[in-house]
Amino acid sequence: MIRSETLSPSAGSQPSSSAPADLPHNRTNGFLLLPALVAFLPLLAGSLAVLLRESVKPHIPGRVGGADEGFTLKNYTELFDPAYIHYFTDTFRIGLVITLAALVLGYPIAHYIVRVASPRRRKALLAGLIGMLFLSLIVRVYAIAMTYGPLGPLVNAPLLIGIQPRTPLHTELLVIFGLLHTVLPLVAITLIGALQNINPRLEEAALSLGAPRWKAFTAITLALSVPGILSAAIIGYAFCISNFVVPMILGKGFVLFISNLIYARFSEVNNFPSGAAIAVIMTLISLALFYGLMKLVQLASRAEAR
Amino acid sequence: MSKRLADGLFTALYIGLIAGAALFLLIPVVVSLILSFDARSFIGPFPPKDFSLRWYREFFNDSYYHAGLMTSLYIATVATLVSTVTGALAAIALDRLQFRGRDILQALFLSPLIIPSVIIGFSVLIFAARLGIIDGMPRLLMGHILITFPYVLRATLATLKGIKPSYYEAALSLGATPAQALWHVILPLARTGILAGAIFAFIISFDEVGVSLFLSDSFSYTLPVALLAQMHANLNLTVAAVSVLFILVTMVLIWILDRVAGLDKVVGTGVYGR
Repeated sequence: MIRSETLSPSAGSQPSSSAPADLPHNRTNGFLLLPALVAFLPLLAGSLAVLLRESVKPHIPGRVGGADEGFTLKNYTELFDPAYIHYFTDTFRIGLVITLAALVLGYPIAHYIVRVASPRRRKALLAGLIGMLFLSLIVRVYAIAMTYGPLGPLVNAPLLIGIQPRTPLHTELLVIFGLLHTVLPLVAITLIGALQNINPRLEEAALSLGAPRWKAFTAITLALSVPGILSAAIIGYAFCISNFVVPMILGKGFVLFISNLIYARFSEVNNFPSGAAIAVIMTLISLALFYGLMKLVQLASRAEAR
Repeated sequence: MSKRLADGLFTALYIGLIAGAALFLLIPVVVSLILSFDARSFIGPFPPKDFSLRWYREFFNDSYYHAGLMTSLYIATVATLVSTVTGALAAIALDRLQFRGRDILQALFLSPLIIPSVIIGFSVLIFAARLGIIDGMPRLLMGHILITFPYVLRATLATLKGIKPSYYEAALSLGATPAQALWHVILPLARTGILAGAIFAFIISFDEVGVSLFLSDSFSYTLPVALLAQMHANLNLTVAAVSVLFILVTMVLIWILDRVAGLDKVVGTGVYGR
């Protein structure tokens, strides 16, 4: 759930340069790696390997798991069917809406905590944000359903933006609310990390030279925080598009993400090979998105440093 | 537009967005809190007129929830222990070692953070079946170790970056063996990061739904899976009562996290920190 600041570009990737390189040290340190190599790595590698293998097995209707013999790419090619495409487009589109909303709402909070709040209030707000981030997903999904559902106190609130209750758009809005409830604190906390590394004197200098407040803010603080905004967006977006519980409960069958499609393949039709193929595609998209966009952030911050 | 008007509008927008975000986050939680004390036996219009503790009693008397809670606690404790030991040691090794493929190994170690949980659950299910493991409990443990490990690794790596290599070297030059230097110097210095990572791991495991849904069976299921089934079956208000308990537990964990690591440490204070 928490993919916050330390996953940002190049975190922890520089080995300490002055570590002694002679053998006994390396041997001791090498031993420390052993438990993880034994307990964790086979679990990860084994799971992903069988997933890959499953995805190219022919599916036999009625059988749990694919046929043990044979090789097919049909599980992949059938995903280009228009019936499947909308799962992908829905996931990516709704994820984008949520990420943008989280940035707009999260930025002022982060700014307030970093620049305005007194140390005491800062701590209280941080505790609140971290608490909101740690809150169980089940709890928030239930809370959103009870608040905006048919008997909830805010069932008619979406009318303010022209969305009628009991329409597909209303359902989509609930999915957006459900995910935003997690992504907002996640994005705000990530932005706090970024804003803390921007020198507050720069904006103060612009203000004292007579710049309007909005201009000093947009031209300096906002512009300097672009890399931070991008990494917060990536972390938030990655959370959205991989989510499963929120569309499952709040989407009521109208809004389904790729994860829900994988689960349906497994639980409803027992088509493991097809589920595996979708899972492989989804993993590749997630990894490419994450590392690709992180590279972009690194380039952006390098351009800024110049 | 005059400068004063523009500044006023800007400030109004700033405050408005913060207030809106706060309301958006808090209102549903407060609604759950109120509903959990509803005295009615059904879900009626909000707000309830009478209040009682019936849903809390119902939760504590329900053996279905009780079994889920016990499984969740067991899985979260064991997974956290395994991940903390393996993850903290691996982080120390990665921090000090330089070898080809080191960055790739680290990316592999951290990859469950990026891979969607449904996919982890699905692939562990197939892997366990291949190994002949068909019981829920060992399967759940496998999945939960996989998802908690990167949190400990990441938190420990972040702390280790702040420890000067000269401490380790000083211990060596004073005659300590590498193992002694690690045990008496590096490990105590990295303690906050390791503990913060362990708390993260516990919370992540305890809240996890996507992975657990695939790996649970009718004998071993976690509390979130039990709640999910309950929400699907009939919307009764025991879930609201559990929500309040979850919120209380979250508050306690935040308090512990603040005690152990300091909340500022968790988000970092930055170079211009106060």
